[in-house]
Amino acid sequence: MIEVRELTKRYGDRTAVDRLTFSVPPGRVTGFLGPNGAGKSTTLRLVLGLDTPTSGTATVAGRRYAELPAPLRTVGSLLDAKGVHGGRTAQQHLAGLAASNRLPQHRVEDVLGLTGLTDVAGRRVKGFSLGMSQRLGIAAALLGDPAVLILDEPVNGLDTEGIRWIRTLLKSLAAQGRTVFLSSHLMGEMELTADHLIVIGRGRVLADTSVRDFVETNSHTHTLVRSPEPEKLRALLEAEGATVRLDARGGFRVHGVDASSIGDLVSHHHLTVHELSPAHSSLEEVYTALAHEAAEYRTRREVRR
Amino acid sequence: MTGPTDARAGLRQALIHEWIKFRSVRSLVRPTLATAVVPVLGAVFVARTGSLRPDDTVLGAALTLSVTAQMLAAVVGALVITGEYGSGTIRTTFVATPRRGTVLAAKAVLLAGLTCTVALISCTLAYLVEDMMLDDDTYAQGDPFPALLGVALSFAVAALLGLAVGTLVRHSAGAVTAVVGVLLLPSLLGPLFGDAQRWVAGLSPTAALQKLTQTSDATAETVGSLGPWPSLLLVGAYTTALLLLAALKLRKRDA
Repeated sequence: MIEVRELTKRYGDRTAVDRLTFSVPPGRVTGFLGPNGAGKSTTLRLVLGLDTPTSGTATVAGRRYAELPAPLRTVGSLLDAKGVHGGRTAQQHLAGLAASNRLPQHRVEDVLGLTGLTDVAGRRVKGFSLGMSQRLGIAAALLGDPAVLILDEPVNGLDTEGIRWIRTLLKSLAAQGRTVFLSSHLMGEMELTADHLIVIGRGRVLADTSVRDFVETNSHTHTLVRSPEPEKLRALLEAEGATVRLDARGGFRVHGVDASSIGDLVSHHHLTVHELSPAHSSLEEVYTALAHEAAEYRTRREVRR
Repeated sequence: MTGPTDARAGLRQALIHEWIKFRSVRSLVRPTLATAVVPVLGAVFVARTGSLRPDDTVLGAALTLSVTAQMLAAVVGALVITGEYGSGTIRTTFVATPRRGTVLAAKAVLLAGLTCTVALISCTLAYLVEDMMLDDDTYAQGDPFPALLGVALSFAVAALLGLAVGTLVRHSAGAVTAVVGVLLLPSLLGPLFGDAQRWVAGLSPTAALQKLTQTSDATAETVGSLGPWPSLLLVGAYTTALLLLAALKLRKRDA
């Protein structure tokens, strides 16, 4: 369980995180979504006690991170793939971390096996590909067999197979009753991995909802219509109160009147139609619009200054 | 999932972590080995070339290059923490051991123990080699005991000074420049201060070291008029103060 209450972080006069409040319960994968610069990484650093909040609190398993007696046994985290010295081997990196929290050394072998790094355990990390570094980061996060996992952009740099691997892994960890919290700026990835979403923009919570609800609430339906008599059709639809926009692929994108009503209307007026298809705007589009609004707002504010 | 345990990540655990990190990074191991080798090489060189002044002691001659070795120890001290900032591993370290005072204490204990041991062995060896190679009666012997212990301690103080400066500065190049400056500048700038020269010059850990080695170079003008042990105490005291300041900063700062 991660609990964030009124968390605020200011750097000079820039507010990176603004009175953020949310909780991440165990047993499901919670996605932390927001465009680059929305405050995701700052929030995670505050939760992990790396940065000190300007005000508010963040607790993991009921305690501030710094108060956990052996933090790696409670929380596993992945901040970025660069948290390893290039001259060290994967084995040395993990052995050091294990020693720091009094974890048995067999855990090192366990997580190396789990992440498929056993064969390269003795190699220096600087020769690792981005995907291998990412796997090593995951291995370090799992070292203490923690009840809470906090992962910042874990799919970065992974290939398709790696992404599928991590998706399955995270879901199975959540199914074991662990708290899994991962950030991403990629909506598509979240749609496939997460059960629940916390969306932030410019340091504030924009949505805290299940993925399904997020899709249903925010995804708008429209109808794509293509006709050889576009002007007549347009006038007709607008007379019915529909909003008609040109679609990039040709034809019209119609909001406000559903596909069956359009069909009736067209046949009633003896017009020809070549295509009539109902469509959902994808979550990707919704999210992009949301992120865009947040960015717009920020730009406007900066211009005003 | 492991259930709640009473296992605590304390100083002992942090110390083992620091030791594993230290020995797995070449840029720390190599200068430490150099610290060990340089005094002995210096002793051999001085004995072979006979480049001693008549008033030199065997001990002083043996430890001619100990000043350089001490500087290497100080650089290692700085790199132990700036290397972590440079590679980003400092965050990994703080996530594993969030009590930052414990992290700094572990680094300090490791550095002090390591440099002290390395210096004691290497400087004693240098003295024995010098003693063997030089003719017996030409030069005064010097008092190796307890001076050699002091010499070893001065290495530890230099490494800790490096650690404190490194913690405050955070960048390798800046920290190395700063710490070498602290070691060298007092004797270089001393003459500019007129009558205060002996005070200024005596501030460097190098000054304490030179007095302990009983070399003829250690005149009151160049290294201050304090005795060797009070001099070591003075350097140790301000290093401790600087380390405490560094610990304070480390706890407050965002990593």
